[in-house]
Amino acid sequence: MTNQASLKVQSRDGRGKGAARQLRRAGAIPGNVYGREVEPVAVAADQLEFAALVSAISVENTIVELSVDDGAPRRVLIREIQRHPVRSEYLHVDFFEIRAGEKLNVNVPLHLVGTPIGVRNGGVLQQVRHEIEIECLPSEIPPSFEVDISGLEIGDSLHIGDIDLGGVELLDEAERTICLVAAPRVVEVEEEEDLEGLLEEEEAEPEVITARGDDEEEEGED
Amino acid sequence: MLSPKRVKYRKQQKGKIKGKAGRGNRISFGDYGLQTLEPGWITNRQIEAARVAMTRHIKRGGKVWIRIFPDKPITSKPAETRMGKGKGNPEGWVAVVKPGRVMFELEGVEESIARRAMELAAAKLPVKTRFLIRED
Repeated sequence: MTNQASLKVQSRDGRGKGAARQLRRAGAIPGNVYGREVEPVAVAADQLEFAALVSAISVENTIVELSVDDGAPRRVLIREIQRHPVRSEYLHVDFFEIRAGEKLNVNVPLHLVGTPIGVRNGGVLQQVRHEIEIECLPSEIPPSFEVDISGLEIGDSLHIGDIDLGGVELLDEAERTICLVAAPRVVEVEEEEDLEGLLEEEEAEPEVITARGDDEEEEGED
Repeated sequence: MLSPKRVKYRKQQKGKIKGKAGRGNRISFGDYGLQTLEPGWITNRQIEAARVAMTRHIKRGGKVWIRIFPDKPITSKPAETRMGKGKGNPEGWVAVVKPGRVMFELEGVEESIARRAMELAAAKLPVKTRFLIRED
């Protein structure tokens, strides 16, 4: 994963869902470029080129050199990607233009390194958070945070406050859990045996909140 | 088995399943997911059977998330009953799923084990499904 990438896009005239759908049919993704004190530009990116870019970079924290209509490259971050719920297609993309010397909020991925002692002894590693939010200058955005978890035993957990951020400002709460090593689950023998009985068992009906009380009946009579 | 503790009304109309899953269509908790590609009703028995199939396969390791909940009551009339005389009695609960919905998630096991566990779970469900891996 590199921390720099480039992409060529074209500006587009059409607005609204009709024009956006036409673009998608033609193999492009509608998008916008915006930023502080920058005039927003509606753009269209090539679906294949964009998919190749997304698979090659860490999306949230990679600065992309974006050239609109072969103009001078603009330094942007990919702020939001809308995807199709079922097909592996991109529907829309937002590019946020950054300015050198101005701090910004970015999500940086967390990579866990090593196998915890607890996992070797039968525990289960659960990663609760996969990225953390920090504030830093564009030139200081770390590609990722590598977290050594080899010392964790069963019952241990690691928090955001425990990792070395290398001087950047943390926006998430330091008490938030990154990962934990849980005790192994007791094999549910009883449950397995009772499965068929459970499936056949009659279910009790839930309580009905709006069951008519005496008051309502009286009102109805009036 | 999963069912609501309290409900506002005992019976519901059938409804129609339109569109795709606008929410719950990405992996949020685990590393692997099982996504439906079709709309459908998943009964609480099917959810339970899928969960048991999955947990049996992964044995001691791993954690399972169930991301659908059967909150829609289904009624049926007794056998050999003439039509009419009102709606039938509540007989079960279903979760309504739209294409794209991630129904189950898994974490803490190898990909090959997760893939097989999801395959076994998918065999218990009335919809076509797809195995997903977290994108990072």
